[in-house]
Amino acid sequence: MIEDDIYRASSQYRLWSYTESSLQSLRATTNAVASERVRAALRRSRETHQSTASSAGTPQSETSAENKIKDANDIECLTPEEELVLVRYYCEKTLELGETYKPPMPTMVRATAIQYLRRFYLTNSPMTYHPKSIMACALFVATKTDNYYMSLRQFAEGIPGETTAEDVIAPEFLLMQGLRFTFDVRHPFRGLEGGVMELQAIAEGQGQPAPHLPHETAEDLQQGLLSIAPPPVPSSSMADRIARAHTKTRELLKSAAQMTDAYFLYTPSQIWLSAFLLADRPLAEFLLDVKLGGPVTATIPPPEIDDNGLVNPLYEIRSKLHRVLSECSALLQSYTPLSSDPVQMKNLKRIAKKLYHCQNPEKVNISAARKRESARPSPAIQSDAGPVTSESESERLAKKRKLEQEEAARQSDDVFGGELVTQRTKH
Amino acid sequence: MAPDAASRRDEDEVCPVCKSSRYLNPDMRFLINPECYHKMCESCVDRIFSSGPANCPVAGCRKTLRKNRFRKQTFEDIGVEREVDIRRRVMHMQYSQINRITSIRLNRREEEFDSKRAYDDFLEQREDIIGNLVSRIDVAKTEAQLHKYATENMQSIRANQAIEAEEASSFQARISLEQEEARLRRQAAREEYETERREIQAGREDFLSKLASGSSTDAAAIAREGHKVLLKKSSARRSEEERIRQKQAALRSSELKRGSNLSTADFAGADTGLVKGLRKIKTPEPEKPYDPFMGYVPDKRDYYTLQSYYPSQYLDPIRNDARMLAGGYNLQDYYSRTLLEAFAGLSCFIGEEVSQRDAARVTKPAATEGTALAAESGQGV
Repeated sequence: MIEDDIYRASSQYRLWSYTESSLQSLRATTNAVASERVRAALRRSRETHQSTASSAGTPQSETSAENKIKDANDIECLTPEEELVLVRYYCEKTLELGETYKPPMPTMVRATAIQYLRRFYLTNSPMTYHPKSIMACALFVATKTDNYYMSLRQFAEGIPGETTAEDVIAPEFLLMQGLRFTFDVRHPFRGLEGGVMELQAIAEGQGQPAPHLPHETAEDLQQGLLSIAPPPVPSSSMADRIARAHTKTRELLKSAAQMTDAYFLYTPSQIWLSAFLLADRPLAEFLLDVKLGGPVTATIPPPEIDDNGLVNPLYEIRSKLHRVLSECSALLQSYTPLSSDPVQMKNLKRIAKKLYHCQNPEKVNISAARKRESARPSPAIQSDAGPVTSESESERLAKKRKLEQEEAARQSDDVFGGELVTQRTKH
Repeated sequence: MAPDAASRRDEDEVCPVCKSSRYLNPDMRFLINPECYHKMCESCVDRIFSSGPANCPVAGCRKTLRKNRFRKQTFEDIGVEREVDIRRRVMHMQYSQINRITSIRLNRREEEFDSKRAYDDFLEQREDIIGNLVSRIDVAKTEAQLHKYATENMQSIRANQAIEAEEASSFQARISLEQEEARLRRQAAREEYETERREIQAGREDFLSKLASGSSTDAAAIAREGHKVLLKKSSARRSEEERIRQKQAALRSSELKRGSNLSTADFAGADTGLVKGLRKIKTPEPEKPYDPFMGYVPDKRDYYTLQSYYPSQYLDPIRNDARMLAGGYNLQDYYSRTLLEAFAGLSCFIGEEVSQRDAARVTKPAATEGTALAAESGQGV
């Protein structure tokens, strides 16, 4: 299908699509690396604290110091699940933050910001960078990438609390690195409009058949649409029914689709169709029948086998889609807003408290860290490259220098001289 | 000795038809006809053939001759004359004889053959044919062969003929072009010399007048300056000439390229009965129309048929709203984009496709680049 190939060219498909298992393992890896660093950083900070304390002359017993180091070793870090809950909470916060502006930010901008946050926290941990600081920056970047102009000053003023413009853009580069510089987010919203447009056209008898099923006429389609099962909530007319399903789907896409992993696991068209299935199942099934032909039910086995002994490709797609859409709908349905659920809120509070203790102390102040980083002639910060200890850094630099010298010596032996362009080394 | 012998033989040369000798008629000229190569004097030809074709008057020869085919003998030996004629007929020149194809033109070129060997075989075969014709072995059979070949390969014969003609003419053209260029160069050199001389003269006069008007102290300065001006002028002129020369060179090279661009024509005849080992001639496929999208049809869609109008209560007011349309807003673009996004990726089953993609990426231990990088940097520290 041509449309699918067009989607396959997008960065969302190429870089930000995962299977459930790969998503899980990725989060686990990120979490493990981040906890390791948090522990190392905390240990270091305590050591320096202790050494300054002892140099100040405060008597301190060896045992207590040892205890502290032991403490640092079994600091409780967040689990990947806890991280996920935290990120989801801040995604909800992003929605609210967008609402506070006057006029409220478009849904698209907010959704983009949420996806940025989610993508960023795939390879970064909330323990390293607190979502509170990243959130505002993500929203600000989203206003830029979604062409919704807002000056930085205006943006910073809209944020409740003491947030300066400087604070907003401090993690900007960090965020972009985490996003792998792909700012394109394919949302299901516009797709929904398209689908609804098609349905309306069919309802008014102006529909046209899909290219693979050219035998149907506009009247056939209209008759088909009128003869589908009635909606759960009775409606006055077909247009009314479509409009109602549209609104409901839109609400689902705004919340559930954003707060779950739907964007990583499914394509935008699958997301909107599964939301549509939740909103008005017969209508969504009808649209699929029109596009891909033949209703698929579990009871009727696939009878269509063409001359080449192959299953009709449309049928195959349809049956696969049936499975994928029901999975996606289940995922969307499983979502309940955190703030509405007291149990979840309690859990969240616990996580927040835990995070307070296991926050990486070297990364708390991003703008200060950024200044330090730019002052130091060190390689560019890799996303989650993490804290680099000063001694290991100098050791590494020494090693690099040695390697370079060896390389130069080797090249000077070369009859034709060394390479003109030195190879780029990967930091 | 030799001229003596020749003149003596000339003197007692006798026309075999009218028996008049050169001794009596010193202006007598002998003519031959390639039909039978019998020699006779001009007056006999006039006498016998003026009123149309007639039989050869030599006893025993019954060939019908025409007056217009009579010509002067080129070679003294009639055998040589005949062989040259045959060669010419078989290979190159064309006689215009009524009712007969006389130009057989076994004129295949080397590049028409598969290999050098095949070409050599062809040359040998041609010599055999000529030998047969000259020594009158199997004349009828050979002639029939040649005739058949000629009718079959009319087209390629023509093409080769055209190529030869073109080569000859382009050679001519190149030579004349070169001559013309040489002439132009000579003229330019002459003019150049002339202008230089005039300028030097003018500069000198200028310099003298300056000297005359100026004081004696700055004489040296004026002299230096004058010299400098002269140098500058000549260098400017030189660069100008250089430019012109380059242009001419470019022109010449393009001319040459055009000359060498003679393409060998397409030959329809492949292996004919007579000539073996001809290269199979492939007529190039007619060029397909240029397709900038490489087979991709811009507006072709698999899930939907784009309509020109979709009823919608939100969009309907826009259709006629001058404020929207004046800026160039096109509702059609909106339709095509929303519908594309509605179905783009509908049958991209990420679960399957991504796991396949990850499996293909065996070199990387982690599932994605991001984690791979993170892991790498983690190890690096």
